[in-house]
Parts: sequence; C-alpha cells; structure tokens
Amino acid sequence: MIEFLFKYPATVFSKGSFVLLGAWPVWVLILCIAAGAAALAYPAWKMRERSAGRARGLRLASLWLLQSGLLALVLLLLWQPAISIGSLKPQQNIVALLIDDSRSMALKEDGTTRKDQVAAALNSGLLDQLGSKFQVRMYRFSGGIDRMEKLEAVTAGGNATRIGDNLAQVAAESSTLPIGAMVLFSDGADNTGGVDLETIALLRRQRIPVHTVGVGREKFAKDIEIGDAVMAARTLPDSRLSAQITIRQQGFAGSKARLSVKAEGKTLATQEITLKPEGAQQTEIIVFNSGNEGVKNLQVSVDPLQGEENTGNNSVSRLLNVQNRKPRVLYIEGEPKWEFKFIRRAIEEDRTLQLATILRTTQNKIYRQGINSPNEMEQGFPAKVDELFGFQAIIVGGVEAGYFTAAQMELLKQFVDRRGGGLLFLAGRGGLSEGGWGKTGLAELMPVTLPDKKGTFHRDPAYVELTQAGKESLICRLEENPDKNAERWKKLPYLADYQESGIPKPGALVLVEALPSSKGRLPLLITQNYGRGRVAAMATQGTWRWQMLQPLEDKTHEMFWQQLMRWLVQDTPGRVVAMTPKPVLSDETKVLLRAEIRDRNFLPMTDAKVTANILGPQGVAEQVELAPDALAPGTFTGQWTAGKPGAYVAEILAKRGDEEAGRDVLNFRREDGVAENFGAAQNRELLEKLAEQTGGKYYNVKDLKKLPAEISYSEAGITVRETKDLWNMPIVFLLLLLLRSSEWLLRRRWGVV
Amino acid sequence: MWSAAYAFQRRSILDQDNQPMAIPPDANEKTEYYFARLRYPNFRGGPYNWQVRGGWTVDYPKADRHLMMGVRRLTRVHNRSMEQVVDLESDDIYNYPWLYAVETGHWDLPDHQAKKLRDYLLRGGFLMTDDFHGTFDWSIFTASMSRVFPDRPIVDIENKDPIFHTVFDLDERFQVPGIVMFITGTTYEYDGYQPKWRAIYDDRGRIMVAVCHNMDLGDAWEHSDHPDYPERYASLAYRIGVNYIIYSMTH
Repeated sequence: MIEFLFKYPATVFSKGSFVLLGAWPVWVLILCIAAGAAALAYPAWKMRERSAGRARGLRLASLWLLQSGLLALVLLLLWQPAISIGSLKPQQNIVALLIDDSRSMALKEDGTTRKDQVAAALNSGLLDQLGSKFQVRMYRFSGGIDRMEKLEAVTAGGNATRIGDNLAQVAAESSTLPIGAMVLFSDGADNTGGVDLETIALLRRQRIPVHTVGVGREKFAKDIEIGDAVMAARTLPDSRLSAQITIRQQGFAGSKARLSVKAEGKTLATQEITLKPEGAQQTEIIVFNSGNEGVKNLQVSVDPLQGEENTGNNSVSRLLNVQNRKPRVLYIEGEPKWEFKFIRRAIEEDRTLQLATILRTTQNKIYRQGINSPNEMEQGFPAKVDELFGFQAIIVGGVEAGYFTAAQMELLKQFVDRRGGGLLFLAGRGGLSEGGWGKTGLAELMPVTLPDKKGTFHRDPAYVELTQAGKESLICRLEENPDKNAERWKKLPYLADYQESGIPKPGALVLVEALPSSKGRLPLLITQNYGRGRVAAMATQGTWRWQMLQPLEDKTHEMFWQQLMRWLVQDTPGRVVAMTPKPVLSDETKVLLRAEIRDRNFLPMTDAKVTANILGPQGVAEQVELAPDALAPGTFTGQWTAGKPGAYVAEILAKRGDEEAGRDVLNFRREDGVAENFGAAQNRELLEKLAEQTGGKYYNVKDLKKLPAEISYSEAGITVRETKDLWNMPIVFLLLLLLRSSEWLLRRRWGVV
Repeated sequence: MWSAAYAFQRRSILDQDNQPMAIPPDANEKTEYYFARLRYPNFRGGPYNWQVRGGWTVDYPKADRHLMMGVRRLTRVHNRSMEQVVDLESDDIYNYPWLYAVETGHWDLPDHQAKKLRDYLLRGGFLMTDDFHGTFDWSIFTASMSRVFPDRPIVDIENKDPIFHTVFDLDERFQVPGIVMFITGTTYEYDGYQPKWRAIYDDRGRIMVAVCHNMDLGDAWEHSDHPDYPERYASLAYRIGVNYIIYSMTH
C-alpha cells in the first residue's frame, strides 16, 4: 500500500536525499508561497463580510490555510521535487551471502532444520534474482568463515557463531572487491555476546549495508536453559560451597525440576525446584561440598523435562580448584576459657586448617600451641609484618586493646586492609567494648559500632536465631535444607554468655542474633568486608555449650566454627594471585591471564618479571610473559590461545631479580561443541540492531520477496546516483484532491460562498 | 597456760581434716570456671569395711576452696571461690567441663553413670582423680573406669606431655603425701610406694582422665595453710592443680 502511494520502496526514502530539480532557487519558492498566502488573506477577509458573519475566527483561518496549502503544494511541484539515491550498478557489484553454519542451524522447527529453511528461501528464486543483478558470493561461517560454491556445503556442524569476526573478515575483502552489500542468514545466536563496536565502525566506514535474515523461532515452545552458574573458582577441601544458578524456561511454568551439581559423574548435590513463569529469570542457590583436593570439572544441570526441544542447554560446566593449602589462623586469647579449648578442638578436626594460639595464662606467662618452632611468637603477639602476614586469619579473643602496642594495632589493621586477611573479634571480659576496642583505630574496621560503656558482658544464658542473611550464609549452614537449618539453630542449647555488641554498621551483615531473656534481640555474629579483607564479631564466648550439651554425634559446634574459619581464610590472597575471567572456554580459544603480585609487605610489586608456564593436552607446553598493567600497579596481564580442547594448567611465577616473589596455579579448560546449545532461539534484537546500524534491513527468512529490490540501494561498491521524481507519486494527487475537496465541503457546511 | 593457749591456737592437723568452712561472700559469683567435685556412689564390700574409709567428700570443701584461691592468685582464670558439687545422675554435669574426683579407690560407678561419664569425657569434659593408694584402691578404681572406657588403657604420662608444662614445668615431681604421714611417718599409703601420674587419652592424644595415684593432692591443698604441712608438698600440689586446670581449658 505504502509503495503504491509513494511509488518507491521505503528504503529509497530512508537512504536517499531530498532534492529540488527546478532551476529557480529555493528562496524564490519560499517567497512565492509567502506572497501567495498573503494574497489569499484578503479575499478570505472579504468572505467574512459576504457571509454575514458565518465565516469568522477559526472557520476563516481554516479555509485560508487549506487554500494556502494547495497553493504551496502546486508551487512545490513546479520546483520538481525528487529523491537522489545511490544504487548498485547492475552486474558490477558483489553481494556477499553469509550463511550461518553453526550447530544451532541444525535445530528442527516444524519438521525443517534452520539450514534447510535458508536453502529453501534461496532456492525459491531469490538466488536467481540476486544473480541476475549482482555477482553473488556465498560464504558459510561459524567460528571461522569459508567461501563456498554450493549451498550443500552448509552442514550446520560449526561449534560456535562469531558474527562480528566473520563480518569484519568479509568487509576486509572489500578493499579489493566491489562488495555492494552483505546478506547475513543466521539465527543470531552469537557466542561472543554480540557484534563489537569496532566491526560496526568498520562496516559503517565502508558503507556496506548488512541485511540480516532471521532464521528460527524467537522463543522455543518448551525449553529450560541454564543462563549462568556463579561459584568460587577455588576453595579448600571439604568446604561447603554455594552455586548461584540462573535459569530461564518456556512452557514449563509451575513444573518441578531437579537441579544438580556433579563432578566426574558423582552427584554432589541435588535440589528440587519449581519453575517460574515464562521468560522470567529464576535464580536458585544450591549448596554442595567441595570434596577432596584437585581440579574438578563440575556439571551444573537441570534434568530435561518431557517434550523439551533443546536439552543441550540444560547443563553448564565450571572449574573448581580444591587446593590443599593449609591456611594458618592465629588466635590470641586474654584468659583461659572453655570457648578457647572448644574452638581449638573444632579447628583441629578440620584437616585443612592450621591453628596457632597464644593464651595469657598468668599475669606474666603466655602459653603457645600449634607453633611451627619453639621460637615462634616467643615474645607474644607478632610485632613484625612478615610474621603476622604469614597467617591468613586472626582471632582476637577477650584481650583488651591496651595489651597491643600501637605498631601491633596498625599491623592488625593492615592485615585486613592491605594483606586481605580475615579478622574475628570474640567476646569476653576483655573483649569488644569491655576491652576498649571501640576507642582504637581498629574501631573503624569493626562491623559494629561498639557501645560506649562498660558492663556489656553478661554471664547469662541466651538462645540464638538466624537472621535472613544468616539463613543465606554458608557460615551458618548446618543443614542443607534452609528451613530445617533455621529450625536447628532455634533448638540449639543456650549460650553460656553474651555481650552487647552495639549497632551494626551500614553494609555489615548480622547473621545470628542472641535472645537473652531480658534484652530482646542482640546482634551476635556480624560480618563485613573491609579493604581487601573481612572482619567479623562474635559476641559470645559460650558456644562451647553446643558441644557439651548435645549428643556426641552432633557436630554443630565443630561445623559452625570450621565454616566461620573457612570464611575468614578462604579469600585471603597469597603474594601472587593468578586469575582468568573465563576458566571454561566454551568454543573459544583466547585465554586472558591476569596476576596480582605483592611484595613481602603486600604492597603492589611493579618491577616483577611474571611468566606463565602453560601445560595443556597432547603435550602443549608454552611460556607466556605477562606485561604490567599501566592502570593497575602490581597487576600483570597477558593473552594466550588455547589451540586444543582439554584441560590446561598455568603456573604463574613472579620474580624480582633472582628472588622468587611467589607463584600461583591457574586452571582453565577449553570445551568445544557446547556454546551452540545456548541462546539457540533466534536473537532478532541482535540482527535488527546490526542491520539498523549498518544501513541494512532485517528480514524474516519466510518473507524475502522485497530483498532483491531493496538490496540495490547501497553506497558501497560501484554505484550510480539516480534521481527519482516525486511529482507523479499518487499521494501528491490525492493530497491535491483532499485539500480542494475539504475546502469545498467546509464552505458548503458553513454556507460560505 | 601458755601451752593451753598454744594448743588452742594451733590445733592438730589431724583434727582439722575435712572440717566445714564458712561460705565465702562471693560464693554465687558467675564465673568461667567452677571447681566441680564429683559425687559418686561408694564401693560396698571388700575387706576392712572399705566403704566407710573414704568417699567423695574427703577434704571437702577446704581443699577445693584453697586451690581456687591459688588459681585466682596464680593465673588469669576467672574462677568462683566456692566449689560446685555435681553427680552423674543429672545432665547438669555437662555445664562443668572440669571434674575432680577424690578417693576414687572407693568409687563404684553403676553402668548408667559410667556411660554418662564416658559421654561427658568424649564430648570434651575432663576428669582429675586423686587420693587413692596401692594395689587394692587401684583395682577398685579400674573396676569402674573399665566400665567407662573398656577399650582405652590407662597409661603413664610422659614428662614431655603438655599437662606438665602448661603453666609450670613439672619435670621434677615427687610423692605428695596426705596427713596420714603424720601418723605413719611415711609419704606413701598401703603399698602405694611410688607416685603415678597416669592418664586416659582420647583418639587425638588429649588427656581426658588424669589419674593421680599414690598421692594426696587434696590433703596438700587443704592443709597448705597449716604450719606442719611441708611447703614443698603443698607447692607441688598447687602447681599440679594449676597445670591440670589450664590443660583442661586448652586441650
């Protein structure tokens, strides 16, 4: 209809520029229109008198406007309006057809695969029509791109879809070939997250329009897809871990499904979930045990449901490095107490933790346990940075702040802030505000604002309850089931004592509350991050009753303290920390390596020499030198290509001169044939944006009849400029008629002659 | 007259054994540590009417309170001045991870008490036994203890064990006699010639039961303020008591 009224397709108007072909300049036209309108004003005014007042005000203005409009349109036609547009010269340009050859094109919809839908569209005359006007070059692409002569070469066997890279490659050929336009046949299921701005800029510079042809359904009728699984990349043996799983589904709203985490075929955890409404993103948290040391390839999956169209996207894999690195915890206690003994016992049962303790037994004696040598901490709490920073976490029991020197206090602060260690404050006669900690420089890093008073420590019973944050925290997870866990906490024997801990700071998390009989609810276990580290306050020294008052088989006390200790030490970094943003390369090859290097004082080391020694499958062994990052002191980065699928290990070694600063091990894995299962529905948004940004147009594979005509209008390749007259457009005559007839009808209605 | 006055002021140490004592003013203070004395059923039977010759109350309460005064003076332990009597019939015992049992050569734990004591010790409780002597006492002691731990041996504690080094280094130890020495003139009783520091360990090498055989630390604590009781014995008894308490709170 639009093309009938306007004579030309919409592309002509969107791409072309409006011109007036008349010999007289435009200002003359404007002058004529203004003069004509003014001239028409006088008879219109006279009409007022003739009509005996029937035509006045708005009625008069309307009639005058219709007359002026008609005059303006006639004058405009005299100036010969036209559209100037560039179009491809027949038979002298190449049209590149890029056909998606990735595995997602093999998906069947209504009995036909996507690649067959493309072949059918091309063979139904489109190819001939294009061939009659242009030279047609066909390419098939997935991870890379190949030229092909026949459509049969498309097998839908590619492991990835990289639209951006492949478009850029074809665009690069345009420097030697007259490529007038590209037509991209794809489902848009790009595995790199989209087309990068550089490629778009390249295509725009070369003025190559990319017409996109969308293939496949925009959403599946029945499908469950795991969008992401977020979990720690490394942990300690036998740690309780959580994975945050993002799920989307179509067609299964309200259905039950089974979520599981497996490692080498062994199920680590399962959880029944109820699927949320269509298209809504659903987040589930599943808790599992990390097990023994080693690098594990974890499979997070949702069991396929009956009728699911694409089951390949029900599972994702993640690498977990379970490291047996034996972090050390230093616990200093101000006086002998049962809590000290039972904390020691709980941590001793954890084979991955080492505990060293200093206990003030008398006014002048300390008793050390868990020390590495008779001389270690002989003089008491460490006063040297390398001695203190050798630990991963510190527990300050009921020791008054005045016991520590100013230098030791500063060291403690830097232990958290700079070294990234974990610090836990315990209650007691000398703990928290009783020990004057609120008036020290360390008050700043505490998760609570301590009460400014004495008499806060009470040897009275208090029951405990989890807060919402506590229910979600792995520190407090005694049972896999969150509801059962909360109930178990409520039923724990009462604490032997409690301390008023003060007001939690913004950003701090209260995980457990104490319920003494007379004081309502008090924050008992509070945590927060500070600097690079973590700080917690535990406002009791009476959890030992959970051990003594419960059956021997009950492991509540041990489990809680082990989990709290693991939280304290888990993320404490070493001097060399290696990382990569994508430990699992799904049909990708580029590995980004990054290492943070610190000196003995845990200050960024900028003059280190950092190398990555990479070992991979089938004897791959390479060394990559990492370069310092100018924007982040102490950070070194590098890029490497994982040529073969399989498991890789990279040892990052940092040296300053001949002295080794430290080393860390990084694991990553390349998996092929996975990415195509995800986001397999047609990504129409991506295809539309790509077409829009390059001057092309989006088409559906089932409706391509306008493509051959519209593809001609391009500024790339070898073009000619065409001028298309507008005066003979049907819409113009209709407009003339409309203006004149409107005036006539109004006059008649209002009785104006 | 002088001698009469002297005799009044300085009563015989034998007369003062097991004497009652006034309740201290801070007897109800809430503290971290309580000296829990185990009340147990006596062994009935055997030769010499054995059941009447000793029991859980021996040296009570003065020994306990003297030791607590010493612990307050010598350590940072926040302890109550008065003892706490507990037994294995009630679950209250689990509130007191330290237990002192005297004259365990006279105890006779029924099965349900033995079971509870085993449970208490395995959960983390600590038992110190004292003031039993010679072969016959030992047989009575082990008869009950074998019901507590049928499969755990009672072994001599080595000098290097931390229990002898928590506060004081107790490499030099000797027999601490009870006041019977003022009658018999010897530091031993019956055939208990050599003092034995023994223990039952848990699976992680920690002492659960500290057995002080052929010595009477309770008497030494009780009579440490009496001029006739030799200071060297009292001093060692205090040091052992302090070390054992600190050990129980650290291991």
